[in-house]
Amino acid sequence: MAKKILVIDDEPDMVTFLTTLLEDNGYETVVATDGDEGLSQLKAHKPDLVSLDLLMPNKTGIKMFRELRRDPDLADTPVVMVTGFGTDDTPNMDFKKWIHERSIKPPEAYIEKPVDKDALLTAIKKIIG
Amino acid sequence: MFKNAIHWFNKFTHSLSFKLSFYAGLIMFLAIIVFSYQSISTQENNLINKMIQESLKDSEVIKAAIWNGMMTKDREVIRQIVKAIGEQERFKEISVYDNKGDLHYSSRLIVSKNRIDPSVEPLMSDFKTDVKPRHRISKDGKSIIVVNPLVNTGSCSASGCHSSPEIEKTLGVLQVKLGLEGMNQELLRNTRQTVIFAVSLFLLISTASGLGVIWFINPKIRQLQEKAAKMARGEYDPRGKNGGSDEMAELIRSFDRMSLQINQRTMELDASRKLYKSLFDEVPCYLTVLDRNLRIVRANRAFVNEFGDQIGKNCFSAYKNRKEPCVNCPVAKTFEDGAVHQSEEVWRLHRRDCYVMVKTSPIFDDKGKVYEVLEMAVDVTLLKRLQFRLERKQYEFRRLFSTVPCYLTVVDRDFNIVTSNDLFDRDFGSSAGRKCFQAYKNSEHQCDNCPVAKTFNDGKTHYSEEIWRQNGEETYIVVYTAPIHDDDGNIISVMEMSTNITEVKRLQGELAILGETIAGMSHTIKNILSGLQGGVYVVDSGLTRGKEDKVRTGWAMVKNNVEKISDLVKGILYASKERAPEYREYSPSKLLSEVCDLYEVKAKSQGVNLVRSFDDKIKPCLIDPAGIHSAISNLVSNAIYACKNLNEEQSHTVTVSCRMDAQTLVVEVSDDGEGMPEEVRENLFKKFYSTKGSRGTGLGLVITRKVVHEHGGSIRVESKQGVGTTFVIEIPVNYEQAPPVLQEAS
Repeated sequence: MAKKILVIDDEPDMVTFLTTLLEDNGYETVVATDGDEGLSQLKAHKPDLVSLDLLMPNKTGIKMFRELRRDPDLADTPVVMVTGFGTDDTPNMDFKKWIHERSIKPPEAYIEKPVDKDALLTAIKKIIG
Repeated sequence: MFKNAIHWFNKFTHSLSFKLSFYAGLIMFLAIIVFSYQSISTQENNLINKMIQESLKDSEVIKAAIWNGMMTKDREVIRQIVKAIGEQERFKEISVYDNKGDLHYSSRLIVSKNRIDPSVEPLMSDFKTDVKPRHRISKDGKSIIVVNPLVNTGSCSASGCHSSPEIEKTLGVLQVKLGLEGMNQELLRNTRQTVIFAVSLFLLISTASGLGVIWFINPKIRQLQEKAAKMARGEYDPRGKNGGSDEMAELIRSFDRMSLQINQRTMELDASRKLYKSLFDEVPCYLTVLDRNLRIVRANRAFVNEFGDQIGKNCFSAYKNRKEPCVNCPVAKTFEDGAVHQSEEVWRLHRRDCYVMVKTSPIFDDKGKVYEVLEMAVDVTLLKRLQFRLERKQYEFRRLFSTVPCYLTVVDRDFNIVTSNDLFDRDFGSSAGRKCFQAYKNSEHQCDNCPVAKTFNDGKTHYSEEIWRQNGEETYIVVYTAPIHDDDGNIISVMEMSTNITEVKRLQGELAILGETIAGMSHTIKNILSGLQGGVYVVDSGLTRGKEDKVRTGWAMVKNNVEKISDLVKGILYASKERAPEYREYSPSKLLSEVCDLYEVKAKSQGVNLVRSFDDKIKPCLIDPAGIHSAISNLVSNAIYACKNLNEEQSHTVTVSCRMDAQTLVVEVSDDGEGMPEEVRENLFKKFYSTKGSRGTGLGLVITRKVVHEHGGSIRVESKQGVGTTFVIEIPVNYEQAPPVLQEAS
């Protein structure tokens, strides 16, 4: 049975690209365009992995990620962060906060936009096979 | 030899011993001579008197004998008596004459003449009144004649012997002649002895006194001479012992004391002379002594070293290469009034100009007349140069102070402005009598955190950034304060330097916005790139799998993102490049309709109702349609975005209205969206400022304002959070020609 991946991104183009890429590689996809929708889809579909955009309207990826990690049912879901901000752009932003907040497990992988599709697929394969 | 002898003779006759002995002897000699003369004269008189007395006595005897003889009428007895007595040695002659002068008796052996000596005759005539005997000395001085009258007694006239009448007092005279040779010889002998005695005494006294001088005085005088000679040579030591108690010894001791004093005075004089000489030479200024012709008589070493040997030259030619005396010559003044004068002069040397302070003082002669003038000149060239440099520096400092492109004021402890520079005076008016807070801030109170007060407290430089209101606009000012000390190190005032950094602040803000925008833009570009990459992949995937819908979706993604890049680039170009507006007659309402048509679909897709409210009566006017289109498009796009961001059920409205207000075209774009907070309102028109994150360029309103300004118009915004925002553009249209292009102050 194909593994299910939840793609959360407010950019429709990004959603189309990621779902096409993942489906072409044998994954089943579910879509959400902001944090709130992401959480509800997460609860509804129990995906094997979440591809999460950082910057989104209403509920940002960071906020949603924290809620996910704090929710005992969802906390173990592997998360791949996909964002336009590179590590160079935000050297002291959220990564540091994640490191300081020991109770929260950091995302399993981190992919920068524009997405290198091989890197993304390799990371996903490494996490969920 | 002869000359030598004369020399020695002269020397001898002029010597003290000779003079003393000679004159002492001479005086003694003369005294003896005078005394002897007196004594011999007296002796001579005494002898003569004695002889006269004796002769009278003898004559009385003879008279008695004669009388007797006459009485007896014995003439022979008379003759014998006369002869006998006359034979005595001392008598030269005894004669008896009658009263007629005829000789009657004589002791002479030979009677040469019978008449009485005429020299005796006058004597006889006197007998008529006086019958006293008389005497006289013969003309040759060898004998004395005594005449004794023979008185006519009663018997003579009564008797009959002679019968001489009674009236005849005398009958005749008895003349006795005595020789004086013996007496004269004795006197001569006496005189000779006296002379011999006087000469001997003269010689004795002269010799004694001469020897006394030679023995007792000459050695002392020689001693004095030697001492004087030694003293003259400067070799004399007066501290030797001098015995003796006489006047000469005392004189020598006095001389020694005098020498000692002279020596001491001489030494003092010599020391002070040396001191003055050394002072004159070594004093570190130029000293010259000038005579009445302004010629240099003496000069000290410093002068000679610097000016060479100028003795004998005129001062004006030596110092200044002049041919005539200087005007206002201080030396001439001192010669004139005998007072000290001073002046500042420039001496022209061949090497350099020498600035000197000159002081002249008079040198008086014995009569109190100015004989020479001492000129003292101190070289102040270095000082003068320093003074010039200081003045130059002061001038430069003053220039710097006045022209430095910031406000400079010097403030005292009471915050009164003491000095201010030109820029300050220009922008804040005259500082006279104003306090710094009054002048700078129009305030009546000292500012909080006053850097001037801090500097007065701790003497350190302080710094503060302040915001002043100038002409209604906020001006950012950075103020530096620095202490100004007096000579004792006390802070007397504080310098306040204020620089207008509004422009810097603005650029700083723009730079920050630029930074953020570039970050945002790079994010946008990344997103666009992601979109493109995604589109390309989806197209590939569709083609590979033969799914046409995928191809379409992917292609739409590609097109969409290419358009996004195109918009971004166009916006950047429009905002940053100078674009010349192209004015033409165009209907504003038509233009606005075109804009609304463009956004109609977008608005509807986002649940926004786009309402048009145009005044149809507006005639076409001279505008740049492309520019206005772009400006209004940005406003409409922003308005729709403001509504779209609200995640609410209710629908929103964006109204675009247009009307003519007198000669002004008024365009309003209003929405009932979220409104803007204060911070956003302040930054609205700044380049690259955007609230749209990845979707905005931060250039839209910049372009809008630029276009409105190009049309000579204005733009303002009214916004309230939660209520909505209205942009109002007002463009004057009452012109026929193209408006002047007002450049935005970017």
